[in-house]
Amino acid sequence: MATNNEIEGFGRVSRTAGTLFRYLLLAATLFGLVFVTILLVYVANDAIQPLTADPGWHLTFFLTLVLPTLAVGVYANRCGIEALRTGVFTIGFVVVALMFSGGAAMIFVDIVEPLTWLAFLVALAVPTAVTMAVVSYDHRISFVTQFVVTVAAFYLSLFGVPGPLGSLAGVSTVVPSLFGFVAGLPFAPPPWLMMAGTFGPPVAYVGSRYVAADRDRRTHVLVGAGVLAVVLAGGALAPFAGVDPVPGVVVAAVGLAPPLVYAAGTAVNRPTERVGLLVPATVVVGSLVGAVAADVAGFAGPQSWVDWTFLTNSHSSTAAEAGFYPAIGGSILLMLTVAVLAFPVGIGAAVYLEEYAPNNRFTRIIDVNISNLAGVPSVVYGLLGLGLFVTYLDQPPGTVLLGGATLGLLILPIVIISAREAIRAVPEETRAASYGMGATKWQTVKNVVLPRSFSGILTGTILALGRAIGETAPLIMIGAPNVKYSLPAGLSEAASAMPLQVYAWSSLYAGDDFYQKAVPAGVVVLVAILLAMNSIAIVLRNKYQSTE
Amino acid sequence: MSGDSLADDLTRRTQNAPPELLSRTFFFVCAALSIATTIGLIVLLTTEAAKFFTFSAQLVGVEGETATLVEFLTGTVWQPTSGQFGVLALVTATLMVMIGSSVIALPLGVGTAIYLSEYASPRVRSILKPGLEILAGIPTVVYGFFAIIYITPMLQPFVPGLGTFNMLSACIVVGIMIIPMVASISEDAMSAVPEELRQAGYGMGATKFEVSTDIVVPSALSGIFSSFILALSRAIGETMAVTIAAGSTAQFLNPFNPATYTERALPMTAAMIKLIGGDVTGGGIAYRSVFAIGITLFVITLAMNVISDYVAQRYREEY
Repeated sequence: MATNNEIEGFGRVSRTAGTLFRYLLLAATLFGLVFVTILLVYVANDAIQPLTADPGWHLTFFLTLVLPTLAVGVYANRCGIEALRTGVFTIGFVVVALMFSGGAAMIFVDIVEPLTWLAFLVALAVPTAVTMAVVSYDHRISFVTQFVVTVAAFYLSLFGVPGPLGSLAGVSTVVPSLFGFVAGLPFAPPPWLMMAGTFGPPVAYVGSRYVAADRDRRTHVLVGAGVLAVVLAGGALAPFAGVDPVPGVVVAAVGLAPPLVYAAGTAVNRPTERVGLLVPATVVVGSLVGAVAADVAGFAGPQSWVDWTFLTNSHSSTAAEAGFYPAIGGSILLMLTVAVLAFPVGIGAAVYLEEYAPNNRFTRIIDVNISNLAGVPSVVYGLLGLGLFVTYLDQPPGTVLLGGATLGLLILPIVIISAREAIRAVPEETRAASYGMGATKWQTVKNVVLPRSFSGILTGTILALGRAIGETAPLIMIGAPNVKYSLPAGLSEAASAMPLQVYAWSSLYAGDDFYQKAVPAGVVVLVAILLAMNSIAIVLRNKYQSTE
Repeated sequence: MSGDSLADDLTRRTQNAPPELLSRTFFFVCAALSIATTIGLIVLLTTEAAKFFTFSAQLVGVEGETATLVEFLTGTVWQPTSGQFGVLALVTATLMVMIGSSVIALPLGVGTAIYLSEYASPRVRSILKPGLEILAGIPTVVYGFFAIIYITPMLQPFVPGLGTFNMLSACIVVGIMIIPMVASISEDAMSAVPEELRQAGYGMGATKFEVSTDIVVPSALSGIFSSFILALSRAIGETMAVTIAAGSTAQFLNPFNPATYTERALPMTAAMIKLIGGDVTGGGIAYRSVFAIGITLFVITLAMNVISDYVAQRYREEY
């Protein structure tokens, strides 16, 4: 494209206008980014107040964290940009994993009892195993038999005999459900062992598959045992750090094990990038050493508003004591509900439109309809939730289920559109090859189309979920409470959410005190979580695009 | 819609086998749900809004206070507490958000699109595009907070008479929020301009500047217009930023007079939030007026989406 000035003999062309134009365009591109970055720096400064720390504190961390990290980073860069990239990625991975482990731990501390969790898992695992055993016992079992066996196994396991169908007719329970049986056992292992038992094996299995993909059996077992040890250690050692064992196990399984597995995988399988692992190691060790040194020397850290109290307190009428805990928990529950409600339907609709739909009038109507739905303002979806669920279906306003359903309808068109793009990107040849092998349409969709478009669908759905968490207007419209002092105990209880809490602080409690303390702290937490989600989506997409 | 004849031929015999039937039905139901959502939305908005207007309230059998359609559409005073429902006070505020934000977003968005599609190297583009997506990913409630806490105080020394709540800051944040939308759709349109056209331009001795402004932009014009309309529709529907930043005083202002942007106002979306978030009791006339605004908003944004689609289809250059 840049051949315009290379041909001689045309005389001189003035480049002033072109250069000026080019830099104007660059300025236009950067304007929004720079503007928002400055605002984010302002709000981070208000929330964390780095300047309130002792100069000695800054010096300590500069010496133990910043300088070594820079030195190791330069060294890793010398060894290869790939190594540095792996190192930086690992840091990001650690941060994101710890953030999500915090959220997961919150669920098991305040919402779901470990015993209930165990009972539920058992009640789902047993029928799954039964179904798989039946199928592998005889491959020629007809689909209808399979279907009946599956449904019956799950029904028995979750509801017992005769279950809800029988109780409609007033028959009492003859055989208890597996769920009720496990949940009602008079003896139960300590909660943290239950958590370790349910989290450890799957994480260990995935970890050993990732690290020792094509190595011998011994390596597999070794890696799996290592991961299991990390998870168990999380529960065993947590009391020494002043934390309950249950969140200790969850943090170890969700926040510590995955980055460790990734690091181990890099060390074992990609020798050239090994040196990059020094970067996260320096950061982790540097922060620990810095924290200990600053503590010993008695240097006070910054008087950040985002601290443990803020993250674990509930709302208060004084800004300095106001916390974010119920809002974070509400957002997590809403997120789970939205994901469960919207993703299967959205992906299913995308599969129908891309793979099954005949090219007729009805399909075109759905097509136009979805793009129009994507353009309907979110506040109107709030009206839909209010009118449909609260007025007509007579649900109590502001519950998790209601919020999840409303936000789910809101992001449904976005999920459909992005999933369609991912499905469309699967090359036609792979489908033809599948048909050529004698596969049916459903087998092709299940074995070829969905696996190959999986990462694209995942990227789109994470971005859509990010949109759902950031939405406030629909939640206000369906009557979600501005202020909640505890986590919702179930799906049918009212819940607040992070953006709603921020809105409440910046409107109902508007005042300089809240503007300078609680709101910036809330904004920092909210934006950090959204940036983490968006970065996961972007990393996934880059990986997906480079492998296709 | 890759339901080409090959797949049809190969799968015809198994089409009605139970697994095929079951999976196909499931996928169809999922797709049909989007139609159901639309129908639900339209039916709900119409029936609820019908209870608000005098002429239709009897049809749906609602007793009690109502407002006339003429008063709703031509009145300039919005005071639900004293029974005055002139939606024009809200529409002008929405129009102001639309105009104010487009002054920022349209030139910057098109500039960004030209830069990304014509000038940026692949590496720079791979950094800038995710960056812009993050702009769009920040929650609107955060933008609203930025407007009152940082932007308004920054502007106050330069703009005389600027209150804490004003339309100017609201327009600025909404403008920044919709830049990525303009940029990404316009860039798609510009990237679709075939390379031959550019090469022909260079062959005629044009500079890169001339190729960009005289060949690429005119060829992509339909896509650019369509991105404008979509972005404006987004600005109309934008809720939290204007609710927080624009204040909550409904007044009838002249959107074409720059001086009015220092005033506080109440756009339609913010009015809905204010009515529901406040202590409106269910079923009253103020409650029903939310649905009247809602259907107005729905119709406007729907019309803009349809127009944008039409422009993109109708004026697409065929290469």
